[in-house]
Amino acid sequence: MIVVVGLSHREAPLDVRERLAIDGEGIAELLRALLQRPAIREALCVSTCNRIEVYAVGQQDSDEHTLAAAEAVRHALIELAGNQGAAQGVGPYLRTHVRRDAVLHLFRVASSLDSLVVGEPQILGQVRDALEMAKAAGSIGKYLDRATNRALHVAKRVRSETAIGEGQVSVASVAVDLARQIFGELTGRTALLIGAGEMAEGAAKLLVKAGAKLLVVNRSLERARQLALEFGGGARPWEELAAALVQADVVIASTSAKVFVVTRAMVAKAMKARRGRSLFFIDIAVPRDVDPAVNDIDNVYLYDIDNLSNLVAESMQGRRAEAERAEALVQHEVRVFETWTETLGVTATIVALRAKVRAALAAEVDRTLTGRLKHLTDADRKALETMIDAAVNKLLHTPTSRIKALAADPRGDDLVKAVHHLFDLADAVRDIDAAQKPDSPANEGENPADPEEPARRGQGSTPVAAGSEGVTLALPGGRETLGR
Amino acid sequence: MGVEIIFYATVVAYAAAAVLFFRYLAKPAVAARAGKTAPRVLALAAVLHAAYVCMASIIANVCPIRSIHFGASIAALLATGFYLGVRRRWNIDALGAFVAPVALTFVLGSRFVGAADPGIGGGFLALHVTANVLGDALFLLASGTAVLYLVEERRLKQKRASSVFGKLPPLDALDRAEHLLLLTGFPLLTLGIITGTAWAHRIETGSPAELARALFAFATWVLFAAVLVLRALLGWRGRRAAYGTIAGFLFAVAVLVVYLVRGPLGGAGGAT
Repeated sequence: MIVVVGLSHREAPLDVRERLAIDGEGIAELLRALLQRPAIREALCVSTCNRIEVYAVGQQDSDEHTLAAAEAVRHALIELAGNQGAAQGVGPYLRTHVRRDAVLHLFRVASSLDSLVVGEPQILGQVRDALEMAKAAGSIGKYLDRATNRALHVAKRVRSETAIGEGQVSVASVAVDLARQIFGELTGRTALLIGAGEMAEGAAKLLVKAGAKLLVVNRSLERARQLALEFGGGARPWEELAAALVQADVVIASTSAKVFVVTRAMVAKAMKARRGRSLFFIDIAVPRDVDPAVNDIDNVYLYDIDNLSNLVAESMQGRRAEAERAEALVQHEVRVFETWTETLGVTATIVALRAKVRAALAAEVDRTLTGRLKHLTDADRKALETMIDAAVNKLLHTPTSRIKALAADPRGDDLVKAVHHLFDLADAVRDIDAAQKPDSPANEGENPADPEEPARRGQGSTPVAAGSEGVTLALPGGRETLGR
Repeated sequence: MGVEIIFYATVVAYAAAAVLFFRYLAKPAVAARAGKTAPRVLALAAVLHAAYVCMASIIANVCPIRSIHFGASIAALLATGFYLGVRRRWNIDALGAFVAPVALTFVLGSRFVGAADPGIGGGFLALHVTANVLGDALFLLASGTAVLYLVEERRLKQKRASSVFGKLPPLDALDRAEHLLLLTGFPLLTLGIITGTAWAHRIETGSPAELARALFAFATWVLFAAVLVLRALLGWRGRRAAYGTIAGFLFAVAVLVVYLVRGPLGGAGGAT
């Protein structure tokens, strides 16, 4: 079942999180490396400036396999830190959640209940990106796909049904407030943007709105010009960064560099040229772009992502009641997900049973249609097919409901075995289970994250997708959804 | 009797203004009304203070600027008036939390500390006292601004969102105000030093109090001069300038303390 291993702002300070900071290509590599490990069947990585977490599924649904998957992920993350040249390990900071706790954690993360700034909206997009990256890397199967999609669904419910995201104070707005506390009015001040990123651009936009002039320095001068054009500022080549520090009042750093791009020596030199004028650094990058030692220089103020987020979090203490409502909602959704995973074990049985009954009825009708009733028109034949579907539904509604109801019960196994025995379903169930594995030949060339896809196309041997609200079947006579 | 009532009313008004300023700074969100009322109460205190100085001078038959005790009181009054005049333009509202208690201290000090000065003779000395009183008023404001700067600078360096988050004036506004106050007060201090030195040379008492006062006065001048020169030449602003300003003001206060606690100089008055 699902397991999560990783670290976040809760247990790991910024300098530890920096050791595991990876971007898009790094995540793809990590996912591919995880799939190489025999213990892991599915994997997904959520990487933000406040956390890096890997969600994984073991080869089989047993405690032993789940723990093996957790251990494999743990080793992969420790190796990643080592490959990134981290002098100290990340092992002591890694946290593991398994099964229900892992699902609860994913739901809480997506709903922004585990964020440093509870209710912040960026995490939803970041989880969605993580899902897309896992799909692209081919590392996602039915469990993680379902869990992540449910997490996104829960997050949307939390945002729409509670006031957790209202009156949002963002990191960008706090950064601008801090700039005002140093400089007062920002009209005529110069804001220097080093690199680019969503949050950095947000802060730059607010500074420009407050009257500041924008200067952009980027390793790509073309990109710098684009941003400068967008905000009505000027662009400078990377080589002029030191000179730009003399001119700027507020500096927003957000590059993906692995080393400090602004050093203490650079700032000390700039401060001499500035004749002591105040300089405010907003370092949103992880790993950090600005040497923390610059904060020791007179009239220089440096705020990194943790400093800013802490200020935001402190300003939102009044959001606790909404967070409690959101927690209740998340708990409910976790129970729904658990029910789905429990019924997942009996889905193949239900599908096989329905397929067998329908096939038997269809065979009898076919024989009659080629004999005594061969004079029937196409419309009449279609009506008969509809009648078969209705008969299957009515006949199997009660048995299906009872099998699903007992899915989480210890007696459920006996009932399923009895059904297999009575209707001779063992082989059919085995075929369906095999077809549902992400590495099954039946799934090759298909999107493994979308189990409904074969049913939609009406092909392949995977005729089922189970939803929490019911079971969707692809039958020869068309699709139908059964209520729970 | 009327003078006494006005004196105590002045004391109460300054105290009330100080309480209101502190209350506003401690909890700006819930004490917004206190923030609006405080400058008004301080203005009332200043009016009562001015009335008290006028009435007391008439009764004692002495010109205010020719008495060291009245001089200290007037310095506080001028500082208050100056603050009320520029607080909005320079964005230094919060400085009221410093001005009100200091004005209160000066008013009480001028009344109860040391023996009453019989008055200073001669127009030359009147010029000396006037320059010093005005200068001290500005330095009082400058050092108050420097204290606020250090409080706010420390908070921003330590990344704390304290209860006064966002309510103190911006750092640059405080730094600029402190610099302007020093720039304005320094020529007055220089004039006070020149006139005081000339007068001290004339009377040549050579008492330890006179020597101490002269030393403190020169130290004040040197410190303020250093703050201004280093800022202009080396860009020493912000924290360093704030420490220099506070140190300079402490020496200026030492001069006043020597004036207030020493006995009368045989009817001759004192000099900085």
